[in-house]
This record gives sequence, C-alpha cells and structure tokens, in this order.
Amino acid sequence: MNSSLRPGLPSPEQLKEYRIWDSYFTPAYSHPGSDGSSTLVADIERAMPAVRKGEFEKLCYFPHVGIGTTSDVDFEKMIRSRPEVTLKAMERWPKLLLGMIQLNANDVPASLDALNRWLRDGPMLGVYFRGGGIGSLTCTHPNFHPLIERIAELNGVIMQHTWFVTGGKQSPGASTPAELAEVAAKFPEQKFICAHAGGEWQRGIRAVQNSPNVLVETSGFDASAGFIEMAVRELGAERIVFGSHLPSRSLGTELSKVIAANITEADKRLILGENFRKLIQRPIA
Amino acid sequence: MMNRRDVLNLAVAAGASAAICRSSAAADEDSSAANLRIVDTNVSLFHWPFRRLPLDEVELLVAKYRTLGINQAWAGTFEGVLHRDVASANQRLTDACVKYAELVPIGSVNPELPGWKEDLRGCHQKHSMPGIRLHPNYHGYTLDDPRFTQLLELATKAGLFVQIAATLEDTRTQHPQLQVPDVDLAPLADVVKRVLGARVQLLNFRPRGAAFEQLAKTTDVMFDTARVDGTDGIPKLVEALPNDRVLFGTHAPFLIPEAALIRVYESGRLDDSALQTVYASNADSMFWKNGI
Repeated sequence: MNSSLRPGLPSPEQLKEYRIWDSYFTPAYSHPGSDGSSTLVADIERAMPAVRKGEFEKLCYFPHVGIGTTSDVDFEKMIRSRPEVTLKAMERWPKLLLGMIQLNANDVPASLDALNRWLRDGPMLGVYFRGGGIGSLTCTHPNFHPLIERIAELNGVIMQHTWFVTGGKQSPGASTPAELAEVAAKFPEQKFICAHAGGEWQRGIRAVQNSPNVLVETSGFDASAGFIEMAVRELGAERIVFGSHLPSRSLGTELSKVIAANITEADKRLILGENFRKLIQRPIA
Repeated sequence: MMNRRDVLNLAVAAGASAAICRSSAAADEDSSAANLRIVDTNVSLFHWPFRRLPLDEVELLVAKYRTLGINQAWAGTFEGVLHRDVASANQRLTDACVKYAELVPIGSVNPELPGWKEDLRGCHQKHSMPGIRLHPNYHGYTLDDPRFTQLLELATKAGLFVQIAATLEDTRTQHPQLQVPDVDLAPLADVVKRVLGARVQLLNFRPRGAAFEQLAKTTDVMFDTARVDGTDGIPKLVEALPNDRVLFGTHAPFLIPEAALIRVYESGRLDDSALQTVYASNADSMFWKNGI
C-alpha cells in the first residue's frame, strides 16, 4: 500500500534541497541480531519508506563492535571473531549509511583497540556513548579521558547520549548535558554532540550554552513546540544537528521539529545537514 | 441566523457526506491533498502554563491550520487544566472558537470541584459543545471514582462524548514542582461497559502494556494519534483496533501539528482510504453518534 498524500511535508524538491544528513539513526539500537545483522537490516528496511519520503541523503547509525555494549555474550564473542559482519549493513547501503561505533568506557583497553580498528583504519567516523544500561558510564568518569584524547587524535566525532530527567537519573550510567559540558571544558578542541539536547531541552540548552565545542542533537523526545526556536536563539543554528531516531521514533516527530520551526531556511539547511557534514570531515592523518 | 449547533451540523454533515462519497469511490485515482479532509480532535487553546508556545495565540494556530489543510479542530482549553473557575474558562473558549469556523469548543469539567454538574450543563446547553475534556491526573481523581462514572453517565445522557487526556507531558520533562503521573487507565474498561452508549476518546495515550490490551477490547473507547510514535506506530494501532477507533489528533500547540500529520502516512502502510478514515471519517462518526 502506498499513498501520494503527504500533508505537513515540504515538497520532495524542497527536501532534496535541504540535503538531509541524519546524525542519529537507531535501527536495532540495542542488538543487531544474533548473526550480527538480521535485526539491523530488518529495522533499516522498516525505516526506508520514511527515509525515502524525507529524501534523506545519509544516515549515521551506531554499530556494536564486541566491546560489551550488549548483554549477549555469544554475540559479543562472535562479532569480535568476525568483525567483517559489522560492515554488512554498510555494504548493503553503501551510499546511504555512515557509522559511529558504540564505545564502552567501562573497558578502556578494548575501546582503545576498537578506536584503532574502526576509526583509524575506517570506515567509522566517530563514537557513540550510551546513556544507560550495558556499557554505559557517566561521561565525567576519568575513564573517558584517554578515550577522548585518542578520538581527538583520530579526528573523530563524539555523540554522547544525554537526558535531564525530572526527579533524577533513571540509570547509574546516564549522563546529563551539564556533565557533558564539564567534560567538554577539559577538551576544548574536541567537538561533542549532546544527543537529545538533554530531552528536557530548556535545561539542556542552558547547560551547554557556554560550551562552544558542544552541539545539540534534535531527536529522542516528543515534538514539543519551541525547541528549535530556543536552540537557535541561545546557541545559534551552527550548533544544532538533526537526528531522526528512526525507526523507533518517526519522520513526523523528528523532522517536524526543524521544518516547522519559525527559523530561516538557511538555518534549516545548517541543522538538517550542513553542520553534520562539516563535523565529520576528517582530514587524513 | 444560524447558531453554533447549526454550523456544527452543517460542517459535520458536509464532512461526513464527503467522506462517504470518497469511501464509495475508494478506487478513484483522485486522491490529491486538496480533497483530503482532516479533523484534529486534540487541540488546546490559550497558554500552556509552563512556557510560551509558537502557536498559542488562536489567530496564529488557525492560520497555521489553514496552511496545513486541517478543516476542523476540536479545541479544549489549557485553562481547564489548572483553573478552578472552569465556567469562565469554558466561556472564553467558546468566545474564541465562535470567531473561526474550524474550531469546535470542547469544554473542561472537573468533578473534584463543587458545582461540576453546572459546568457540564453549561457545556451542553449554553455552549452547545459536542463533547467535554477531562484531566483526571491534574484534577486529582481516579477513574474508579464514583463521580467519574456519574459524570460519564450524565455526559452520555446529554449526547456528549468524553475525551480523557491520559497525559499532557512526558513525565520525564515535567516541571519538578508539578510532577503529574499519567492517568491510570486500568479501571476505564469496566466503567465504560457499565455506561450504555458512552463514547470515550483517550488523548495523548501511548498504546502499550496491559491497559492497552484491555482497552483494545472495549469498542466504545477511541484513541488519538498525538503521541503514537515509531515510524509505523499509527498503522500498527489501526491494525490492532477493529471498528475504526483511531482518530487523528495532534496535541497542538504543545506538540508540533506536522508531527502527527506526517506520522499517519510516513510508513506507507495505509492506503488513501485508510488515511481518510483516520484523518477525518472516524471523527465525523463520533459526532454523528452523539446526535449533535
């Protein structure tokens, strides 16, 4: 079944003009399937109708690379012994997918090895730190320092999951935008992406306002009106990157935050693609 | 001169007739956006208590809805959430709605307040509203409270549908000094079964868990789309619920109206006929069944 109806969306031509690069694509976020790819591929296919309707150019997802970011011991062992499986999705959609590996700051030696294997040698562009559950650690922990130093050497991007939850953290490994700002101050040359802008974005934006090396990512919470307008006003459009959180969230929820915002078309282009493209440009070391 | 009830009758009749025509011509290729009817069953007017919203002026909201092609909006009032002078809140709501053909006022009733039956009577007789909106979690009662059952009985007898806002805001982002848990919906199925003819719509509900499984079996309970997320969340809800029980709703202006508008079709799993059913036909049916 398909329909030609598309109320609420700009024209395909307008969307193509935005050149949308999605910094936060979350197919099979927690586990790619015991064979390393089946659930991941199915989830990407599930997202494809929305990806096509949105005219996305690129989507960046967060592969697991066998350093303890899932609770599945057999999978972790398998993916370490067969690292080529990690690339299956990227091989299937080579023009569409980008990747930033999930790191585990609880295991610094394994994470440093993974940085060499996947960032130094490619094709991954950066790292993702989880905000709770297996493999997560609050980003102010000293374990992050050697990892950030190495990521900086490799010109990688850091995506840190963040939330400000009313009533306090829901997980011991969670990080807040305020904690990310604290870390970012120690590494002023490194860029950090504050995923979800802290969820409660009014506090999140304020927490990173004076951290010029921190950008905010737009996905992961309801399409609450006024977010992008405040972020542009307080941070500038140059410090905002679009994320879709597809397929567990939606094109409607996430893209509407930007396309419906009362900001300039130039700012929309920055947020929807230009900023992320600039961020992941990696001069060859 | 026509009164509001006449206007509503005409609007609903026109919408329903159009929907019937389109339904009978489902194979017709003419399915352009210009022919699509859209009814937003979940809008609120005036100011959200915790921050200004880009569309919290009625004029701006209506202008936006005209650009989006939304034909009708069932408008509650944010004032009905925390104000105790509910009668004046409902009066302001009616005064605002009467200026715009698209807006249908949905008044607030708080059975925790003395005189709530007068507020209910005002919604029905004074303002000719087709339904009312409840906020049990903000007003401090549960759905097994006998006053809720009585309210549902009286509203049903008056031909009013009843909207229950399961939540207004993600509990994780609420103001720390006003944390309000989602409404416990567990008692609802039993209450609705006891009130013959009751028409209940849940707003802002995320369909999951035991409460949803139970309510899915209760055919007189409708759902809206405002917080049904996931790229295929709305088609899955439509498939899970027989009898056309999913009504388009956005929770604007708190949420961006385009969000739900796009979510309905983005997965490509609903054909044009099914889209029209969600966007408007089910809402039109709810009007008719209440005898307005």
